[in-house]
Amino acid sequence: MGKIKVGVYICHCGVNIKSTVDVDKLTRFALTLPHVSVAKNYIYLCSDPGQELIKKDIEENSLNRIVVASCSPRMHEPTFRKVLRSAGLNPYCLEMANIREHCSWVHKDAHKATRKAEGILAASVAKANLLEPLEEKEVDVTPTALVIGGGIAGIQAALDIADIGFKVYLVEKEPSIGGHMMQLDKTFPTLDCSACILTPKMSDVGNHPNIELHTYSEVVDVKGYIGNFKVTIKKKPRYIIEEKCNACGLCVPYCPVEMPDPFNMNLSKMKCLYIPFPQAVPACYVIDPKHCRYTLKRECKQCDPVCKELKAIDLKQKEQLIQVEVGTIIVATGFDTFDPTLKPELGYGLYPNVITGLEFERLSSASGPNLGELLIHGKKPKDVVFIQCVGSRDKAVGNEYCSRVCCMYTAKQAHLVREKIPDANITIFYMDVRAFGKGFEEFYDRVKQEGVMYRRGNVAEVFKRKDRLIVRAEDTLMGQPIEVEADLVVLAVGMVPRQDTAAVAQILKLSQSADRFFLEAHPKLRPVDTASDGIFLAGCCQGPKDIPDTVAQASGAAARASIPLSQGKVRTEAIVSYVDERACRGCALCVEACPYEAIELKTIERAGQLVQVASVNEVICKGCGTCVTACLCGVMQQKSFNDEQLLSMIAVLGERYE
Amino acid sequence: MNIQKIRDEASRALGRKDVKYLIGYQKGSYGFRVSPAFFQTKEEVERLIFSPLCQVSLAPYLTLEEVVPLPGEEKQKASKVALLARGCDSRAINQILAEKGIPRDRLFIIGIPCEGVIDRRKIEARFPSVTEPAEVREENGKYIIAIGDQSHEVPKEELLADACKVCRYPNPLIYDKLTGDKVAPHQANYDDITSWEEKPLEERLQFWLDQFSRCIRCYACRNACPLCYSTVCILDRLDPQWVKRSNDTSENLMFHVSRAFHLAGRCVSCGECERACPMGIPLMKLNRKLEKDVNDLFSYEAGKDAESKSPMTTFHVEDREDFIL
Amino acid sequence: MSEFEPNIVAFLCNWCSYAGADLTGTSRIHYPPNVKVIRVMCTGRMNPLFVVQALRQGADGVLISGCHPGECHYLKGNYLARRRFMLMRNLLGFIGINPLRLRMSWVSASEGKKFADVVTTVTEDIKKIGPQQSFTREAV
Repeated sequence: MGKIKVGVYICHCGVNIKSTVDVDKLTRFALTLPHVSVAKNYIYLCSDPGQELIKKDIEENSLNRIVVASCSPRMHEPTFRKVLRSAGLNPYCLEMANIREHCSWVHKDAHKATRKAEGILAASVAKANLLEPLEEKEVDVTPTALVIGGGIAGIQAALDIADIGFKVYLVEKEPSIGGHMMQLDKTFPTLDCSACILTPKMSDVGNHPNIELHTYSEVVDVKGYIGNFKVTIKKKPRYIIEEKCNACGLCVPYCPVEMPDPFNMNLSKMKCLYIPFPQAVPACYVIDPKHCRYTLKRECKQCDPVCKELKAIDLKQKEQLIQVEVGTIIVATGFDTFDPTLKPELGYGLYPNVITGLEFERLSSASGPNLGELLIHGKKPKDVVFIQCVGSRDKAVGNEYCSRVCCMYTAKQAHLVREKIPDANITIFYMDVRAFGKGFEEFYDRVKQEGVMYRRGNVAEVFKRKDRLIVRAEDTLMGQPIEVEADLVVLAVGMVPRQDTAAVAQILKLSQSADRFFLEAHPKLRPVDTASDGIFLAGCCQGPKDIPDTVAQASGAAARASIPLSQGKVRTEAIVSYVDERACRGCALCVEACPYEAIELKTIERAGQLVQVASVNEVICKGCGTCVTACLCGVMQQKSFNDEQLLSMIAVLGERYE
Repeated sequence: MNIQKIRDEASRALGRKDVKYLIGYQKGSYGFRVSPAFFQTKEEVERLIFSPLCQVSLAPYLTLEEVVPLPGEEKQKASKVALLARGCDSRAINQILAEKGIPRDRLFIIGIPCEGVIDRRKIEARFPSVTEPAEVREENGKYIIAIGDQSHEVPKEELLADACKVCRYPNPLIYDKLTGDKVAPHQANYDDITSWEEKPLEERLQFWLDQFSRCIRCYACRNACPLCYSTVCILDRLDPQWVKRSNDTSENLMFHVSRAFHLAGRCVSCGECERACPMGIPLMKLNRKLEKDVNDLFSYEAGKDAESKSPMTTFHVEDREDFIL
Repeated sequence: MSEFEPNIVAFLCNWCSYAGADLTGTSRIHYPPNVKVIRVMCTGRMNPLFVVQALRQGADGVLISGCHPGECHYLKGNYLARRRFMLMRNLLGFIGINPLRLRMSWVSASEGKKFADVVTTVTEDIKKIGPQQSFTREAV
C-alpha cells in the first residue's frame, strides 16, 4: 500500500454546526492528526461547490482517504461516496464524523461541543488511516418473480409484474385465489359488489401467459438471495386432476359427507367434494382429506365412477414438492379477523345472534347461505346493534393499533341493513369514526342520514335478559349508561396478523413489527421493502388497510420487485466479512452465528494437510459482523469494520477531550 | 483402578492396525514426577503407568501433534491416536469434537473412571525434596505413598487436587473402551464463587490486581489448556495487538479476562491452567465463575457430547436482560 | 477542583441505536457531552473484549446499544450480544470492576428521547463511581 494521504473536510452546515462547534479550531486540530495532509472547512459540503471542492482536492493532492465531518452518515454517506467515485477514488475510502446529530445539535456548551468534535474527528481519522478500497460485486438476476398469496394484493401484484413482461409464480394456500375480498358483499364507499370487481382480475390471472398459478399450494422453503432465490412449493393433493376437471359438478350429489363451509364462515354446509365458490380460479373441484371417507378410512369412493369420460377424480393423488428459481419475492399473505371469543363479555360463541363483521358479509351476500336475505333464526332482525373496535385499539387483547377498515365497513353494513330492512332500528357503538379516505366522510354522512344511530361509548357487555339480547354500554356524550335491545349484534372485528405469520417469517427471514404484522424496511421511505433484499410486502400482511390502499401497495410492490428483474443484475454488499484461510481452524462457530447461513466450511490444502476452513458467500453476506465476534482466533474480520480499525478508534477515544 | 487391565487395553489398542501410537503416562525422572509418554509398540506398554500422580491431562496432545504442517512430499496418514481419558479429559475431547478440532475417526479413546488426582504441589509440600522413586495408590479414602522402602498414609482430602474435589464428571462421557468401575460424582458446588461475590467490589479488585501483577506471561496456562488450540491466538497477535508483550498489570488483566471469556461455554474445569501456572494464580476461579454463569443463564455445560451447539452462537428469546436499559 | 467529567465510549448499531441517536439530534434534545460514538452495523459485531480495552485506555464507562430483541436488522445479532455482554458484565463484576462501567440498552430508531435519557443516566452513574484508574494501560 502506498503512502496514506488523508483529506479532512469539515462542514458548517450553514449555522447548524458552526454556531456551536468552532470549525476553524477543528480544522487546525485536524492537521495535527496522523497522515492528514489537507484540512478545510466549508459552509455546505453536500452542495455542488462543496462536492467540487473535495473532488478537486483529491485529484490535485493525490488524497487517498477522505474524512467528512458533518451530518450523520445515514444522511449523506451515499452523497460523498459518489464524490469519491467521480474523483476516481474507491468510494469505501470515505469515513464520516458525525458532528451534527451527535454533537452540535445536542450540546449547548460550545467549548465542550468543540472538544467532543475533536475526539469524534480523531477517531474517524484513525479509522480512515486503516480503511481499504472495497469491491462491490454484481450477480445476475433470474427474471422471474414469486408472489405468495392470491388475495387482491397478490392478484394485483402478479398481474402488474406479468404485464411488465416477467414470469410470475403465484402461490395460494386455498383451492382458489380471491382471498377475503371474495367473501365481501358490497364495498365501501361506492357499494361496488366485491365479487363483481374481483372476478375479472381473477380471470385475468388464470389466463395470463406470464402467470403460473399454483393453488392449494404452500411455500415451504426459500433459500438463496436476491436475484437467486430457490423456492420449494408444496402442492397439496386435491384428489382431482386440475387439468381434467371442467367444474361440471355432477360428482357432488354422490358425495355422502357434509362439512361446514369455511367460505360461508361455517354458517352453512357443503359436501367434502366441493368448489370453494362458483367463480373459483382455477375452476376445479377439490376433496377435503380431513372429511373424505376414502382418505380417512379407505371407504366410499362413490364419486370416482361418476366422472366417467374425463376421469378427473384421482383418489390416490399424492402431495408434490416442486422447486422453482426466482429473482424477487412478494409476500401478500393477507390477514385473519380478530377472534371475538377473546372478549367473552361480548357474547360471541355464547349467543347465536352475535356475529362478526365477516359473517355479516356472508349473510348479506347474494351468494351467501340465505342468498342475501338477512335472516336470524329464519326471521328478519328488527333491532340491529353494531359494535366497533372489537379487538382493535385494545391493549387488553394485545392489539393497540387501529384496523382502519372497521368504521367504514360498519357504516356500509349499517347501510345494507337499512336497505334490506327499512324499518330496522340500527345502533352503532363507536369510540371514534375514522372516515379518512376518498368519499368516506360523504358516505358516513349519508349513513347517518339514513337514520343509523351512532352512540359514542365502549360496550361493557352483551347479555340475555329473558329472551332478548341486551347491549349495555356507556354513552359518553350523554354521560350515562344505556342499554339497547338487539335481535342481531354485529361485532366489527379488526384485522390481526395471520396465525402462520411467524412460520412464514421464519422461512423468509422476515421480521415482525410490534403489532406482529410483517416489518417494512423503513416506515416512511420504504413501506413495501423488507430488510431482506429482494423480498417485498403487499396488502394487509404488512398492516391493516382497505382495498384501494391494498391495490396501490400491491402495484408499488410489483414495481419495486421488478427493478432488479429489469436491471438484470444486482450489486452486493461491500462491507462483508472475510476469512484468513491460513489460520482458520474450521470450528464453525461463525457458521452457527450467521443469521443468513452465508458461511460454509470448505476443504482446502494447507501445508500438505487437508483442512476445513470457513468460507463466506459474499453475495449472501449482509455485513452484520456477528461472525467476527464469534471467531475466537480473530481470523474472521469484517471489511471496513475489522478489529484493527475499531481498536484504533477505541484507543483514540480513550483520551479526555474536555 | 486396575493397572493390569489398563495395560491390557493399551496393548490391544496398539495391536490394532489403525492405531499409530498411544498417549499415556510413564514414571518421571524422580520423586513424585510423572510424565506423559508416547507408546508405539505393545512391548513398550510395560512402562505405562496410571496412578493418582498422573495429574496432567493428555487431551491437549490431540490438537497439538496431529495438525503440524507436513514436511515436503509427506502425505497425511489417516490413522488413529489412542489415549487414556478420564472424565475431564473426555469432556475436553467432546468439546474439541463439537468444534471439529479433530475428526472422531482419528481417535481411539480408552476411558478410565477417575477417583481424583493428587496436586503435585500439595504432595511435594507434604514430602519435600523426595528424589527416590515414589508410588501412590488409593485405598479406602487414603493415599498409600511408598517412597523408597518407606510407606506413608495420608487422608485423600489433604492431597487431592482442588478441581477434583468438586468434580461432577469422573466417568468418561466418550470412549471406545471403558476400563474400571464407575465412580460417584460430587455435587455441584459453587459456594466459593457466590461467597466471593458477596465481598465488596474494592476488595475483589484489589485481590485480582495483586494476582495479575504477579503474572509473568509465560503462557503456560494457555498452553496447558486442552481447549486453547487456536492456530493463531489473539493473545499472540500483532495484527491487531490486543495485549502488549510487557507483563504489567493492565496487560495481564486483559490477557486473563480475554482467555477466560474465550473459554466461556468451552472450559471443562480440568484445572490444568492452575496446575501449570508457576505463580500459583487462582485461574480456576475465573473459569468456574463463567462455567457457573453459562449453566445458570443458558443451561449449558461444555463437553457433554460431541454435537451440542455453543451457547455463544445460540439464544433464547427469553434470555435474561434485567441489566439492559 | 472541577467536577469529574466521565469519558464514555458508546457502541451503537447502525440501524436502530445510531438512528435513534440521530433522531435525538434532529429533535434537538440535549444531553451531557461525555459520550463519543463508535458506529458498527450490528450489536453482533460488538466484542465484549472491546469493553475491557476501552476501560483500560481512558474510558470510564462503555455503553452498548442496539435494536430491541426481535427487531434486529440482521435478525439475531442482538440476541447473541445480549448473552455475550451478560457474561462479560458478570465477569468484570467478579474481578471487582464496577458493573456500572458496562451498560447496555435497546434504543430503536424512533426512540430519540430514550437515547438522551440513557446517556444522561449512564453519565450520572459513572460520575458517582468516579474515574477508572485502577488498571489503565501504561504509556509507551
